[in-house]
Amino acid sequence: MATLTRGAFAKPGTSLQFKTGDWRLQRPVYLHRNAPCHVACPAGEDPQAYLARLAEGNSQAAWETLVAANPLPAITGRVCHHPCESSCNRGDYDEPLAIHGIERTLGDEAILHGWNYPVRPLSSDALRVAVVGAGPAGLSAAYHLTRLGYRVSLFEAESEAGGLLASAIPAYRLPRSVLGDEIARLLSVGMTFMPRTRLGRDFTLDDLRADHRAIFIGVGNQRGRQWSVDGVVPRDSRPGLDILKEWLSIGSLPAYKSVAIVGGGNTAVDLARVLKFSGIPEVHIISYRAVPGPGVAAEDVMRATAREVRQAIEEGVIIHEHRGVRRLIIRGERVAGVEMVHTKKLTRSAGRRETVEFEGTETILHVEQVIPAVGQEVDPAGLEMLLAGHPFLHPDSWGRLEGFEGIFAGGDVREGAATVSDAIGDGRRAALAIDSYLRNSALPASQRPVVRLNDLNVNYFEPQPRTKIELLPVGERNAEREIEQALPLSHAGIESHRCFSCGECMSCDNCWTLCPDNAVLKTLEETAAGDHYVFDYDYCKGCALCAHECPSGYILMEPEP
Amino acid sequence: MTLEQPTKSCSELRRAQPVFRGLEAGHRACQGCGQALAARLVTEAIGPDVLIANATGCLEVFTTAWPQSAWRVPWLHSVFANTAAVASGMEAALKAQKRNTKVVAFGGDGGTFDIGLQALSGMLERNHNVLYVCFDNEAYMNTGVQRSSSTPHAAETTTSPPGRERAGKRHLKKDLVTIIAAHRIPYAATATVAYPSDLRKKVRRGLQVEGAAFIVVHSPCPLGWGHENALGIEVARLAVQTGLYPMIELERGELVGAMPIREVHPVTDYLRLQDRFKHLFADDPRAREELEHLQELANHNIEVYGLRAQKPDRFDSEGADTVRRGGMRTA
Ligand SMILES: Cc1cc2nc3c(=O)[nH]c(=O)nc-3n(C[C@H](O)[C@H](O)[C@H](O)COP(=O)(O)OP(=O)(O)OC[C@H]3O[C@@H](n4cnc5c(N)ncnc54)[C@H](O)[C@@H]3O)c2cc1C
Ligand SMILES: Cc1ncc(C[n+]2csc(CCOP(=O)(O)OP(=O)(O)O)c2C)c(N)n1
Ligand code: SF4
Ligand code: SF4
Ligand code: SF4
Ligand SMILES: [Mg+2]
Repeated sequence: MATLTRGAFAKPGTSLQFKTGDWRLQRPVYLHRNAPCHVACPAGEDPQAYLARLAEGNSQAAWETLVAANPLPAITGRVCHHPCESSCNRGDYDEPLAIHGIERTLGDEAILHGWNYPVRPLSSDALRVAVVGAGPAGLSAAYHLTRLGYRVSLFEAESEAGGLLASAIPAYRLPRSVLGDEIARLLSVGMTFMPRTRLGRDFTLDDLRADHRAIFIGVGNQRGRQWSVDGVVPRDSRPGLDILKEWLSIGSLPAYKSVAIVGGGNTAVDLARVLKFSGIPEVHIISYRAVPGPGVAAEDVMRATAREVRQAIEEGVIIHEHRGVRRLIIRGERVAGVEMVHTKKLTRSAGRRETVEFEGTETILHVEQVIPAVGQEVDPAGLEMLLAGHPFLHPDSWGRLEGFEGIFAGGDVREGAATVSDAIGDGRRAALAIDSYLRNSALPASQRPVVRLNDLNVNYFEPQPRTKIELLPVGERNAEREIEQALPLSHAGIESHRCFSCGECMSCDNCWTLCPDNAVLKTLEETAAGDHYVFDYDYCKGCALCAHECPSGYILMEPEP
Repeated sequence: MTLEQPTKSCSELRRAQPVFRGLEAGHRACQGCGQALAARLVTEAIGPDVLIANATGCLEVFTTAWPQSAWRVPWLHSVFANTAAVASGMEAALKAQKRNTKVVAFGGDGGTFDIGLQALSGMLERNHNVLYVCFDNEAYMNTGVQRSSSTPHAAETTTSPPGRERAGKRHLKKDLVTIIAAHRIPYAATATVAYPSDLRKKVRRGLQVEGAAFIVVHSPCPLGWGHENALGIEVARLAVQTGLYPMIELERGELVGAMPIREVHPVTDYLRLQDRFKHLFADDPRAREELEHLQELANHNIEVYGLRAQKPDRFDSEGADTVRRGGMRTA
């Protein structure tokens, strides 16, 4: 009701009686959208969220946010190929956030201070779930299941947990103490760890089914793929992964003057570096694919982590890209070299990509030994029923195996999975799927839309170079010392302030400051959306100025209902 | 604490905002009005202890549709030409009463550059302890976009239509700041809605000095300039970044500060967003010449005020609007 005054005056603030919200054709809404770093992380981390906590100065809260998705940050911070950084919006502005460095620092801080994983004690009637294999996939599944309130038995064939992290990844990129500490902490959140118990030898799937409500299979792929050149195999040739594992467990390495490793994955590159560190003068890698670099198509890049390939080259490993082995050169009983040929993966008829060898491009490489590192496949023992003759399992994106209710799988046993973060993500999603299966509840809803650079307003940010992460100089490297150095916590804090907070409010006050209509109000309490601002639709005229000026793309204009 | 529903209603929240806002919602400014924003930011920096004299113009009209008022501070509508004289009288009266309440005058560019100029000159000459703020939207907007002496060269208004004879306004924008400077008052500055912290800092400085102070605030008008409602800040920012609207401060008529431009944009970045310059993008030699003319006017500003940044700093055209997590852009 308008207050009429006698003369030409009005009471203060009485314009509030007039609701200019009626003029609006579109309305601003606060909407949390996904940061590209989050969408890119195979483990399911939301770096935006933990960078925000770190920027607020709370490193423990940052770690807790991080381990809500990935319980092994000290490990992934070291070995993950960090696709989060390749997709970081800041990369299209100046340089991507050093997410992996921060992840690692948070993981190390948690170990240093003994921060507890956010896991509640189990109730006495908790349902039992079995996890087979204590590699990253199994550890992640076991952790998330424990968090969801299940009593987990974790079966592992070896005497220690960790899978390939422990048996194959060398200390110069994953120190044993970090690996041991992080896994020990994880195993003590409330699961029962059963080392030296092998599925297919000590128990069967049916045994497990008898006293568990659901089963997760995370046994990886342990069997070296058969390899020969036209049926010829060099004498005492062994799969590269076996050599690497033997070196990691008992420290022995073959001594040659020159070797060629066939393959372009992490095994090839790590073995090459270990051999180089051991003093072998000439170490070659022969790969069908290309050395990673700008402009190289994703499907053409060597499978090994780009950073590791770069470092291997720095250390003197010679990589022959786009090459195949045409012929083994045998003198008497010994290998004397290989004949290489130029190759390319080309799309031939019916869209099939095939490796084509080009006649007339053959060259000879003289080496004392040839080592295959051409990949692994699943050891079928105990899994015959699930594999049905295939080399891998084919679960859906939630780890469910068609036709086998209550059995879930993920990590390297799945065709297409190849990294630690894939395995961790598989374990997490399968845990959610097991929970939904046992509770008969719906699976988490689909993703929010993704915020790209042009959804942000970067006028409000300043260019700032990425915090530098130091590497050991090539001359000081060996197989034991960690090459990549830590980002000190203070530097991690500074780096976290570079984050654009894509898709999430950073409480910068811009909308509140810039609304010409005083239609943005601040609240002390957090709103349902998780921010501290409220649109007063009684007065908002829908000009969209706030949406345009929001630095982080957190305001969306919607047509007026 | 997280809440499903905010426990407070909007009207309760409005009463509990962390800063006092002298200009309330419910005013009738157009969607995205730069002047409404400018007036709110200025009033916010002033605080509650103030008397305002306001010349005729959009601000006066849209804040006081009788019997309502959007002001939460004492506010008086003067006629078009005499705001500065009215403010002078208020100041003299308060002085006689030995009260410290601040006196501020608000006027549009029409009310300041043109019709109120002699009253303003008198107020400055007598050095009244008044802060005069001109909201410069570069035309007589309230009566339907007529040119003023502040309208930029070559801009279209209803009284400077582009046509056979002219490409928009024939004359140049009046160099008011130099006129103000000639009065050798304690403080004068230009400001813009695009850099709110800078604006607030200048308002506080203007209130702090003893004697007359003058601030002209570049205030985009979506209707009169023909830009999208959402782009007011973007347009105002580009006015600074091109050099067309220099951010300067003067004490006793001497230049004491200028916001350096870190990345100088071509004037077309600014002009292209506004329909009032649309005719300059026609395929026509005169349009091209006027674009060059405007570019040279910007270059001239950059030269005489030394606007080109030597090295990046916190207060230059890129640094001055940097946000922080946790905000409080009230500083
Ligand atoms: C040399 C090398 C370097 C690598 N480097 C990287 C890297 O830098 N970054 C990256 O992301 N990835 C890397 N990878 C790949 C990565 O290690 C794997 O993708 C990941 O470990 C897969 O995890 P997983 O849990 O599925 O399997 P695994 O790690 O293989 O773990 C499987 C576990 O199951 C156990 N198990 C097997 N069979 C049985 C059974 N029948 N009963 C009980 N337990 C069983 C195994 O003992 C093992 O502990 C590398 C791999 C290799 C070989
Ligand atoms: C003496 C006098 N002449 C003309 C008018 C009509 N009039 C009212 S507002 C206005 C335009 C004001 O322009 P400006 O000062 O630039 O303010 P804006 O509306 O653009 O904010 C005019 C011409 C008037 N009110 N009084
Ligand atoms: S700027 Fe921050 S939120 Fe955006 S993609 Fe990069 S790390 Fe993620
Ligand atoms: S700036 Fe204000 S009026 Fe404009 S859309 Fe946003 S809340 Fe509404
Ligand atoms: S403008 Fe700032 S405070 Fe407002 S929603 Fe965007 S990030 Fe949050
Ligand atoms: Mg005007």
